[in-house]
Amino acid sequence: MIQRYCFSLLLLLVAVFVYLQIGVDVAPQKQWRLLLGLESTSFSEIEFTYARLPRLVMAILVGLVMGLVGSLIQQITKNPILSPMTLGVSSGAWLALVIVNIWLPNLVADYSAGFAMLGAMFAMGLVILISGVRNLSGLPVVLAGMAVSILFGALTSAVILTHDQYARYLFIWGAGDLAQNGWDWVQWLLPKLIPLLVFVMAPRVLSLMRLGHEGAAARGLNVTAYILIFFVSGLWLESVVITAVGIIGFIGLLTPNIARRLGARTSGDELIYSALLAAILLVTTDGLSIFLSQFVSDLIPTGITTALLGAPALIWFIQRQFKAQDQVFFRLPASAFKLNTKIWSLMFFVLLVSLVISITVYRNELGWQFHWPNEFSWSLRWPRVLTAFVAGVGMAAAGVVLQRLIHNPLASPDLLGMSAGAILALVLTTTFFGTSLNHFGPVVAFVGSLLTLGILLVLGRRHQFAPSTVILTGIALAALIETLVQFALIKGTEDTYAILRWLSGSTYRVEPIEALTLMVSVSIIFSIIVLSSRWITLISAGRGVALARGLNVNRSFVLLLMASALLCALVTALMGPIAFVGLIAPHMASLMGARSAQQQLLLGALLGGVLMLCSDWLGQQLIYPSQMAAGTVVALLGGTYFILLLLRGRMR
Amino acid sequence: MEYKATLRLVYLRFIVFISCCVTTCALAAPVYAETIHDSVGTHHFEQTPKRVAVLAWELAEQVIELGVVPIAMPEVQQYQQWVVKPSIPITVEDLGSRDEPNLEKLMQLKPDLILIGYPQSDIKEQLEKIAPVLYFNSYSKDHDNVEAVIWGFKELAKLFGKQELAAKKLADMDARIKFLGKELQQAFGAPLPKVTTLRFANTTSVYLFGDNSISQYVLKKMGFNPALPQANSQWGVTQTRLRELRKVGEGVVLYFKPFEQEDKLRTSPLWNAMPFVKVNHVNSVASTWTYGGAMSIGYVAESLANSLREVAVKSTKIKLDKTVVMN
Repeated sequence: MIQRYCFSLLLLLVAVFVYLQIGVDVAPQKQWRLLLGLESTSFSEIEFTYARLPRLVMAILVGLVMGLVGSLIQQITKNPILSPMTLGVSSGAWLALVIVNIWLPNLVADYSAGFAMLGAMFAMGLVILISGVRNLSGLPVVLAGMAVSILFGALTSAVILTHDQYARYLFIWGAGDLAQNGWDWVQWLLPKLIPLLVFVMAPRVLSLMRLGHEGAAARGLNVTAYILIFFVSGLWLESVVITAVGIIGFIGLLTPNIARRLGARTSGDELIYSALLAAILLVTTDGLSIFLSQFVSDLIPTGITTALLGAPALIWFIQRQFKAQDQVFFRLPASAFKLNTKIWSLMFFVLLVSLVISITVYRNELGWQFHWPNEFSWSLRWPRVLTAFVAGVGMAAAGVVLQRLIHNPLASPDLLGMSAGAILALVLTTTFFGTSLNHFGPVVAFVGSLLTLGILLVLGRRHQFAPSTVILTGIALAALIETLVQFALIKGTEDTYAILRWLSGSTYRVEPIEALTLMVSVSIIFSIIVLSSRWITLISAGRGVALARGLNVNRSFVLLLMASALLCALVTALMGPIAFVGLIAPHMASLMGARSAQQQLLLGALLGGVLMLCSDWLGQQLIYPSQMAAGTVVALLGGTYFILLLLRGRMR
Repeated sequence: MEYKATLRLVYLRFIVFISCCVTTCALAAPVYAETIHDSVGTHHFEQTPKRVAVLAWELAEQVIELGVVPIAMPEVQQYQQWVVKPSIPITVEDLGSRDEPNLEKLMQLKPDLILIGYPQSDIKEQLEKIAPVLYFNSYSKDHDNVEAVIWGFKELAKLFGKQELAAKKLADMDARIKFLGKELQQAFGAPLPKVTTLRFANTTSVYLFGDNSISQYVLKKMGFNPALPQANSQWGVTQTRLRELRKVGEGVVLYFKPFEQEDKLRTSPLWNAMPFVKVNHVNSVASTWTYGGAMSIGYVAESLANSLREVAVKSTKIKLDKTVVMN
């Protein structure tokens, strides 16, 4: 153990030394004297003392905090894949910061950390409420975190899109940037790190907790109180760090895992060693971003290099960690209804009403209008109505298939990185090849999601498509892509705004021929899925059952997964990512009494379609004459419904 | 020879044209027919458009400067906050966002001409169902932005029959910029400092105005070379780190407001170590929209000149102080 620490400290020293030499023209001896208090005179000396040194200190501090908080969360929850990033904390803090900067700019200087904390607490509170305090050790909490991240992300981009002139300056921050001008931020951060002292208690409490809650309680330990204190101080630390440098992901998730692999056994050991490793990692990746910045004209924020190194590392870890299949069977929420003709006719009635409303009711200067559209309005409305409905059907079907395949009622195609793959492809082509989004968008997005699916399949194959592997790989990809999107947005050209607009999932630019193509292709895939619903039923009953009935489980799994991904890719390519429909439409279907896979598919698709139809229509009326994208509205509606639903389930 | 012959021919035709005009004028109301070039081709207009809807801010500026009040434009409130000059009459209807203007509202307003910029270029076909569309791609990496906005201004002037007004406004602006240039050249004396302009993103990174920016064009016209030349880009801005500014040396750095963290910057040792800060060759520029139409070039020139004048006063003081000390 001592050897391990000596070696790591040495590594940190080397990293720090190298870090201080990159692009700095102050000789090491002179650097030493500057460190000891020599007055800096030349520009490069001043730059060393007031830009590089504070940046280094910042990197170390931020690294320490991230490693510590990551390890703490993982130890409390006994869940190796939790971190502020996967718990949705970063997205909450980020949303709060964006809101303060846009609407309350005069409070930024003094209260931004407080607001970030509020946002972070709100997000994490939601995630914990959704998954339940006692279920923090499994996969559901990660899925809940992802869902909350998507909801908050949708809110954030809606805010940014409507205030693009202000938001321009927030992108660098969002991408995670350690650059410093003077010691101000270090001085700001240091006193706020006082809650670190609480963690002196942590090793003892945590090792007692390893005995189990009852065991710890037997030794006179108020577990709940301690956990609460630790969580709140952890959140605070994470919030101040995000306020200071923006979002830097992966470190808090990875380092505790590396620490354990390198042999950190006891609680205290893991905490301290994770922090040390995180500092090394952040100094290294930040050094890399400084190094790369010398060769390209673009700004390279630290968040980018961290994500580029972190995402593959995370996927690699996932590959080693999760070998066994999660033994969670698909359980439908209890329903008070029985699916009968009454419910079916009600649903068709609702569909008809929403169709009529979205075609004939609209707002104008005089107020609400109700009449049949003229030729021009009709030519504008029908492609949008059709696209919205078909997109809803597609995402809902993809969701049903996925939830049953992965045996998890919280799975949904947008959580698996399928949409993320499409986004990545678009961002890369527009940023690095300068092609216009409006012309090749759909094709590029489609190729992107198929590539992601390919990667998922290759990686998943090794573990017989264990749900956890598939989901975690998707999450790693999604987080990586999030960072790259921020990076692209920094450039602030017309095309990056086009990306942002596409990210909000709008039907505005859908052309008739595109709408028809989407309808035909979604109908074909949907019919195939409905026809093969026996496979879905068998697989969702468990692998063993399916095998016993003579089903080639792996082959049908892959085929169904591909169908689901194709649906998602088609929709995403045309409209942009549509969140939550794939998650909640299947739920609503089973709430209304759909039991079999086939029933759930049909009813879910109908519900998904209606949901999208209404969202698209609402988005066009709510802030008239401006419009809100259907994707944003549905994320807000769906996210709220989802959270309420889960909360109600918890209350019982 | 050939050239002269053509010229004569043109001249002859012109005479014929004028006499025709005169006769028609004498006989009946003037017959209006204009051929307008936009970024995609030529368009014929039989009469002056009366109800113009504008979907891009810089084009809204252009027509308002020509004395034409558009019936509608997008994001009126944000325009009033960021572009400010020229102000928008209250009769102008709001069309929603620039990216997704409300087409049904636009249709109801029955425009007889729609002006669009690059962000709306992909919905051109739909807009053409409402009214004739002119597309002016003002800001692009592939052309000279200043040339493009001036050309657009002139074409629009031709369309609205305001060529004289436009020519006068452009000439006045030109003369004014030259005058400001001379005044500043006197204030600074030879050799003129090199000047670079920027906007701050935060205290560690900046957007530099380079080739293809209105700001740099104006400065060159006033006789100032860029202190930190930047490659051509769509908006003429390049994002870079603060440290790059040290390369400005003792040139002049001007930054556009608003910049919330100005006070923080002033106390920063790194900033104060910049050679141009040490010699007081730095100043802020009043909030001015730098991505506008032809007349915004003049507004940018005024703001920059005001700022530069202050710099000149400060630096001559320093020079004087130095000479006093030396004596």
